[in-house]
Amino acid sequence: MPAEQSLPTRALRVGLIAADPLRREGLTAIVTHGGHQIVDACDEADVVLADGVFVGGGDTPPAVTLGAPEAGQAGRLPREATPAQIDAALRAVAAGLIVRWADEERAEFRALGEDEAPLLTPREVEVLAAIGDGCSNKEVARRLGISQHTVKFHLESLFRKLGAASRAAAVHKGLKQRLISL
Amino acid sequence: MSDQVQDALAQFSDALAARAAATRSFVAGIRVARSRPRSGILWRADVAVASEQVFPKTDEADVILAGGVTVKARVAGRDRGTNVVALRLERPVEAGLPAAAEARLGGLALVFGADASGEAIVRVGVVRAIGPAWHSLAGGRIDRRIVLDLTISNREEGGPVLDAAGGLLGMSTAGPDGRALVIPAATIDQVLAPLLAAGRVERGWLGVALHPVALAATLASATGQDRGLMVMQVTAAGPAARAGILAGDILVAVGGAPAIHPREIARQLGAESAGKSVELRLLRSGAPLTLTAMVTARPAG
Repeated sequence: MPAEQSLPTRALRVGLIAADPLRREGLTAIVTHGGHQIVDACDEADVVLADGVFVGGGDTPPAVTLGAPEAGQAGRLPREATPAQIDAALRAVAAGLIVRWADEERAEFRALGEDEAPLLTPREVEVLAAIGDGCSNKEVARRLGISQHTVKFHLESLFRKLGAASRAAAVHKGLKQRLISL
Repeated sequence: MSDQVQDALAQFSDALAARAAATRSFVAGIRVARSRPRSGILWRADVAVASEQVFPKTDEADVILAGGVTVKARVAGRDRGTNVVALRLERPVEAGLPAAAEARLGGLALVFGADASGEAIVRVGVVRAIGPAWHSLAGGRIDRRIVLDLTISNREEGGPVLDAAGGLLGMSTAGPDGRALVIPAATIDQVLAPLLAAGRVERGWLGVALHPVALAATLASATGQDRGLMVMQVTAAGPAARAGILAGDILVAVGGAPAIHPREIARQLGAESAGKSVELRLLRSGAPLTLTAMVTARPAG
């Protein structure tokens, strides 16, 4: 892998907490591949990476938890986060930022028809449903029988209407939160 | 600060603490194997309630009461529409649920939950907004809209909310952005009877997932309305599927009422609607189409 040239990267000391040996091995590989060093004592670390819930004390470093959706830690990712997402979260949290997954799901009890956000067109809803199924732009175009250019056009409109910054956020805001089951 | 002001504050604080201490007879911690601890309310001697939306798919739970007393319970029924899950305790215990009270705008609200060990935790806020009966996305009717000025986590929701006089406003529920809503005690009482007897609340059902959409100008002038509900999913062999509704159809009217406000449709799908037929006006590929569906009772879960 070529070295990053655009950003100066900093090697972090990472405290790793993972009870499952296989997970530990996988996470160790991700952390060291990112150029970081794993330290045994968490209080010597810049940041802690925890598989599951992590309860830190007052002076423990900030932590990134995986698969602990209700954890009150600075970084919170789902269990299936990618290596790139984990690395980005470790760096961001070590720099004092808070990291949340764009598609984070929290149970929310909603009223029928309380959403006053702009209405989507039927085509936009179809595009949203397709990306919610994990389709790429190309696959969306094929499924709906439209050009990729048109798909991009609809996506831009969707992002604008929903105030979403990512495909996952658009699906969450536009589809999951508005679906009415009758 | 004058002594009087200090006294008033100290009294206020003492009153809150006394109130919190008195809740031990009905704040319940709920534990389910291999899942996160939840909060609930000991509703009566042999029944506890909790928040359905965060309750794991399970038949059994432990209810943790004052002093760490743990009682096994069976899930008697759950209703997504009103966010209530009913738990039947294996043996009766002493319960001390206060009488229900009406929420007042600006009134103090004490929001109780349980921590991981079942001990009571509390937040204090005010009733931020009050409104008439409303329908949830899952179609349930909630007698009164009560919104608090604080947010709660999924772990805390399901516990009791009290007013300043110690009256029970209802059960806390996490709404949009974690904003605390209250499911009124009266609503819980209404759904508890069918939940305990039959495991579910009878409610009309079409078997579709719908999404509001804007209608293009030509369709808007043809139908006389600027929006409809697009059919996203059709439950196999459900009422809508049997009526011939397809994913992609746009619903414009149900039983003669325009499909503009989903509330209107939910109102037509009350408990008494099951077994009755309802006329559905649709747009399919831009052309109008009328179908008739036989409403059935919503399946459990």
